[in-house]
Amino acid sequence: MDKKVQEIYDQTQKIANQQYMGHRRVTIDPITRLEGHGKIDIFLNDQGDVDRAYLQIPELRGFEVFSRGRPAEDMPQITSRICGVCPTAHHMAAAKALDDLYQVECHPVGRKIRELVYNTFMLEDHALHVYILGGPDFIVGPDAPKELRNVIGVIGKVGLDVGKKVISTRRRLREIINYAGGKVIHPVLGLPGGVAKGIAPDQLPQFRQIAQEGLEFALFTLQVFKDIVLKNDAYVKLITSDAFTHKTYYMGLVDKDNRVNFYDGDVRVVTPEGKEYAKFPVQKYLEHINEHVEPWSYIKFPFLKKVGWKGFVEGADSGVYAVAPMARLNAAEGMATPEAQKARDEYFKILGGRPVHHTLANHYARVVEMIQAAETIVQLVNDPEITAKEFRTIPTKTPKSGVGVVEAPRGTLIHHYETDENGLMRMANLIVATVGNSARIAMSVDKAAKGLIKGGNVSEGLLNKVEMAFRAYDPCFGCATHTLPGEMPLIVTLRDLKGGVIREIRR
Amino acid sequence: MARAAGTVVLALGNDILGDDAVGFHAARSLRAEFSEGVDVVETGEAGLALLDHLEGYDRAIILDAIATGKCPAGSVLTWAREDFKDIVSPSPHFSGLPELIHLAERVGMHFPKDIRVLAMEVDNPTVFRESLTPEAQKALPELVARARRVLTQEWGHRSPNAPCTNKR
Repeated sequence: MDKKVQEIYDQTQKIANQQYMGHRRVTIDPITRLEGHGKIDIFLNDQGDVDRAYLQIPELRGFEVFSRGRPAEDMPQITSRICGVCPTAHHMAAAKALDDLYQVECHPVGRKIRELVYNTFMLEDHALHVYILGGPDFIVGPDAPKELRNVIGVIGKVGLDVGKKVISTRRRLREIINYAGGKVIHPVLGLPGGVAKGIAPDQLPQFRQIAQEGLEFALFTLQVFKDIVLKNDAYVKLITSDAFTHKTYYMGLVDKDNRVNFYDGDVRVVTPEGKEYAKFPVQKYLEHINEHVEPWSYIKFPFLKKVGWKGFVEGADSGVYAVAPMARLNAAEGMATPEAQKARDEYFKILGGRPVHHTLANHYARVVEMIQAAETIVQLVNDPEITAKEFRTIPTKTPKSGVGVVEAPRGTLIHHYETDENGLMRMANLIVATVGNSARIAMSVDKAAKGLIKGGNVSEGLLNKVEMAFRAYDPCFGCATHTLPGEMPLIVTLRDLKGGVIREIRR
Repeated sequence: MARAAGTVVLALGNDILGDDAVGFHAARSLRAEFSEGVDVVETGEAGLALLDHLEGYDRAIILDAIATGKCPAGSVLTWAREDFKDIVSPSPHFSGLPELIHLAERVGMHFPKDIRVLAMEVDNPTVFRESLTPEAQKALPELVARARRVLTQEWGHRSPNAPCTNKR
């Protein structure tokens, strides 16, 4: 960011702060390690009804300045340290941005190794969400007593052996990632044009076994989801209820046949009716995506530039779009692997056809994606080329600008770098996955809050409903992940115009 | 899974977020002091990944940064395993220490019975920076000393390389 832009940005932030402080508002504030993260602000009008509710996602500052002047080759390592939740996604987006920066096609074997690692990461991360993070809402149940709405409740429902299986599968999958890329947080895998290390043939028997176990686990998870969630009419009713439904555009990466791809492809956008609206290589993202800034928020709200920003509203005239599992399935015409395709067809059949607009369907779509990731891993570890000794094309061109994209578990992740002729960073712009969903998350939180706050009275049921509204998106508060004392109680504070506390609800 | 060392010092943080890395700095001092019977590990991971780092040990010290906003920067706050009895709710993307402890117990994992969390209050761990602030730098010896006291006086570890002092 140049100096002038920075000044304007700072001024805007100052005005934003003043306006923010001048509002009458309710704050739902998780007591996290980093105060204020994942905070929900609910602005009340003079009648005490909800004017607008927002989820404040934490903003880490200074990355632009931090990266300036560093060798671009360091970016896969640096960006993988941004957050402890999805380091592999940042690492891979950065490696792909380097390919583009140095104008080098990734070596086909290097690409397969990258895809192996990436799909392994997707499977592991999705499995964690299904059982540990989202599981309490669906496997245990949204109405279960709060002391059971956690991982222990999940184990109580699915059985201890499954709990053990989740832990051991996760660990086994990490063996593949660690072998290929070194430490998860500081991976040394991606280099411009390929990868740093190949796969020794004697590793394959072990990897094939892990892959097979991973696939069986993914298919088992689908069965669990069907048995516990889909056979329960109340759950299905909740998923498809109006409170958790928004008709927006959807975005995701697709391969040449318009099938879901986590690692590569064109960015495809479909309309709220499910028709193709745009399909473009990620290098053209600035032609298609713009970011809206609200005076009250530090978060930016990406929207479709050519549709335009019409506010936090749904429909074909509003540029609001969604990313992440449900959006990916909507944006593609199919899955890339057979069992995932079957699961996907059933998913759309059960939920009333494509596109699906129900936010809570993200949990189901995540299970479908687990199957594709697992099947892709099986394919790759059985590919004779995966152990080839050549896995990198050495770049020879002068760097200037590069853009890389992957589908992170939480949605489309874009890295854009510009360097001088020596490959030293001049500019870095990251559109992270959670931010891609920020407008829709705000709409979901708003809908939940409006239904529960009337005339300044805050319903006791607010906390759970609002939490559920954003948990389905799996928003990543990466920097807040070591929360102490390890819990995330919520506080709703109802304030008057002067900021005085009228009432506080704690859980 | 049993480990050769019975004790682990596990530092959490992010080494490009300024004072968020204070636990790493403390860990490096302790690693130099305690060569036997204590494993010192630094990680930027969170949630379930921490099971891998804690499994197999009898005792654990967790070093971290914290921003409660209730204490001056540089204060060292402490918790013990008994403080993590209740799981309140799952957070949006997070499984915390209480969940890990319950999970480990439930699946019969060899998990530390004695856990101490030592966290330094920091002001602003949301700006990318590779160095500590002067406040954190100044308070770092206290964080190290607290960990050292637990390791030597409570858990009986020897620290042959500890700095020579008449105060511990």
